[in-house]
Amino acid sequence: MTSPMTSEQDAARTPGAGLTPAPPPPLRHWWRRRWWRRALLALAFAGPGLIAANAGNDAGGIATYASAGAQFGYQTLFLMVLITVALVVVQEMCARLGAYTGQGLGALIREQFSLRVTAFALLAFLVANVGLVVSEFAGIAAALELVGVSKFISIPVAAAAIWALVVYGSYRYAERAFLILSLAFLAYPVAAFLARPNLAQAGSQLIWPHFTGSKAFLLLAVALIGTTITPYMQFYLAAAVADKGIGPADYGKERVDAVAGAIFADLISIFIIVATAAAIKTRAPLASAQQAAQALRPVAGRFASQLFALGLFGASALAAAVVPLSTAYALSEAVGAERSVGKSFREARLFLGLFTGQIVIGAAVALIPGNLIQLLVQAQVLNGIITPILLTYVLILANRRSLLGTAANGRVFRVISTVCVIAIAIMAAAVLGLTVAGWFGIG
Amino acid sequence: MVFPTPSTALRHRFERRSRRLEVAREIRESLVSLAGMLGRPVRHRGGEVVGKVVDVVVRWDTDQPYPPVSGVVVKVGARRAFVAAEAVASVSQREVGLATARLDLRDFVAREGETALASEVLDHQLVDIDGARVVRAADLYLATVGDGVRLVGVDVGFGSLLRRLGPARWRTRPTPEAVIDWASVQSFGPGAGNGGARLARHRGELNTLRPAELADLLEDLGRRERQELLELVDPETAADALEEMDAGELRQLLAETGTARAARLLERMEPDEAADALRDLSQEDRTALLAALPQPAAARLHPVLGFPADSAGGAMTTILFTARPEDTVAGVRDRLAEHAEHVVDLDAITVVDADGRLADDISVGELLLADPQTPLSELIGPPWPVTVTAGADVREVADRLIDSRRLSVVVVDDDDRPLGRILADDVLDAVISGHRRWQRPRAR
Repeated sequence: MTSPMTSEQDAARTPGAGLTPAPPPPLRHWWRRRWWRRALLALAFAGPGLIAANAGNDAGGIATYASAGAQFGYQTLFLMVLITVALVVVQEMCARLGAYTGQGLGALIREQFSLRVTAFALLAFLVANVGLVVSEFAGIAAALELVGVSKFISIPVAAAAIWALVVYGSYRYAERAFLILSLAFLAYPVAAFLARPNLAQAGSQLIWPHFTGSKAFLLLAVALIGTTITPYMQFYLAAAVADKGIGPADYGKERVDAVAGAIFADLISIFIIVATAAAIKTRAPLASAQQAAQALRPVAGRFASQLFALGLFGASALAAAVVPLSTAYALSEAVGAERSVGKSFREARLFLGLFTGQIVIGAAVALIPGNLIQLLVQAQVLNGIITPILLTYVLILANRRSLLGTAANGRVFRVISTVCVIAIAIMAAAVLGLTVAGWFGIG
Repeated sequence: MVFPTPSTALRHRFERRSRRLEVAREIRESLVSLAGMLGRPVRHRGGEVVGKVVDVVVRWDTDQPYPPVSGVVVKVGARRAFVAAEAVASVSQREVGLATARLDLRDFVAREGETALASEVLDHQLVDIDGARVVRAADLYLATVGDGVRLVGVDVGFGSLLRRLGPARWRTRPTPEAVIDWASVQSFGPGAGNGGARLARHRGELNTLRPAELADLLEDLGRRERQELLELVDPETAADALEEMDAGELRQLLAETGTARAARLLERMEPDEAADALRDLSQEDRTALLAALPQPAAARLHPVLGFPADSAGGAMTTILFTARPEDTVAGVRDRLAEHAEHVVDLDAITVVDADGRLADDISVGELLLADPQTPLSELIGPPWPVTVTAGADVREVADRLIDSRRLSVVVVDDDDRPLGRILADDVLDAVISGHRRWQRPRAR
């Protein structure tokens, strides 16, 4: 109530002076006036697990899930169940690493592995993320093509605008706008119900194990893995948990968040597949964003394309800045240039170079003429191939007793997570083998 | 004045450069790169290879700037054996020679006060105290100094990283381009953490860093390292640094610090800064911290916490120095002297009447120039104090400050009773935000 200078003794020495009566704290008043801010804050406290998992539902995610629904109907649903199990396992390990070590994966890998092994991991991470940036720019282009803007205009303009927004420091506001736009995709679950899907078929495909042996199915399966268990998400989650100051004591709650986030995100993904499978019956690879947008027709009617364009643009623009930023941060941190991150251009050469390089390469690759939706899917295949490499690092770290002590993986968990990683690795290796064989005209 | 002809200038420059190169080569040859040493053979006196170097162990707990090497961890077959420094005859870039013909296979166990350099220091975060920055050790250099081999420097150059990625031949060649003298480096981790003379030596230097520099260090360090750094500096210094930290980073730091220590730090912060930090915490953490605060500190914080962060009430400090009109200048000066630690938060004293209403705001300068025996009532008069209500917007406060050309304004309640004071620097903080340009995208 009073300052130390007007503490009891002072007041006694100079009677009547010093004590300034303070009003009772008008906390309730503050609450009422700021309710909307409190509501936003509550959203912000939606745990890192929920955010990280839902980052999988970005432009590449939408394109891949839609592609799966259009091409294979409900056949990929069982695979999605398996992927969800793997995502839960992986997210839990990453959140645990963040909480118990207080470090991001970049710094952890640098401290726990030899430098060459570290360099390999970071290179793989960089390649996967450049692939993601390509897909984000492809997403921006696909969204704007729906409203009649050529990609040769939209991509360069978007790249320059995002670069400038981040570097000149007003990105925070744009970020919120993009986030709100991307909420358009919440229309998918509604569309999935309104489209009257074949529930019996969807249900049986969800529960019965079944696999289709075709090359196209395998490719799409790896794309689904790549977009759902993205390396980027693993890095983000560990860093976000550490950033929030979540420690071993609060880990119980964080585990719930990580697991629930993973399940929630995959439910949305399953709805996207179902909605598209019910709306598009050609059973051929998606040809255009126009076609993908048809899945939203039960909700938006003739405005389906516009709604799809809004959501796709928001999600893509959001990630087109966040992915290269996080990548540059993780790499600078591992190299040991932490301090340069908050500093001027000259000092932040590495950080800024990495950020700019990713945007330039991403935009340039997205400009190559071709089918944008298929480019989006291919970027996810690249991620799917790289995912098992980084998962191996996560697995080794989470197994390490010298790092996590009693929080290291137990025997049962170790078996489950190892099986997940090996299964993903086998599929990725098969796709890689087929692709390389394809280059030489085999298969 | 004779201008050197181009050719002589060139020659001079060449001579200077070659001299520098020679010195550099001498230094380079006397330095042993730790990264390059790893994996090199260990030979016993007969010249036979007995194993490979896995790690080098140094002893921290001495009062010396350069920690002496206490032994080498050698991989023999599948075992990791420890060879004490006394049994090592020579340490060079290419190999380690043993003084004995036999190797005693004792398994390596980390001892108190000792650290294995390759696993605990190399590639980990360190604080370069002279440069006030956080670095990551790309390589560590050993040199023979006096009676033994010691750790003398840490390399933070990008070139050293590239060298370590290359083939073994590159790795063994030290490239001292960005080397920091180990005497001004604070390291972390087991062995470096628990007391010891080495730490006491750095403690003094760390406490002389500017608060903003210390804040930068705290922001850049990992969780474990920053807790160790907090342990090393005085709570007063740490609290000053916390006031300079980015809001998000400060929230993280308080959340991951134990309640008792966090409360000790909050207690020493200015009430407005502490309230800002508390506002950002989760309800649970905030309640726990407020409960752990000593009564006077909690009482100072409560009124500020009741107001929104961007209002005058939320930005004010509740550290007020109040006096009555009948007090004499000398008496007030004596009381001021007892509270010297708050001098940065004080630019005026608040004079209140018998009802506790604001009578005047007398600047410390005015007090200094007045005759000691004058009662304050004689000093009351124009210019009248600049006041704002607790609900006022911070921008309004800025306008009042600009109009009045004062350094602070008094915050009053509806009955004109003083609640606190807003200093110009707090307004600056509120008006200029987001000075860190590129932050890791945080959890939204």
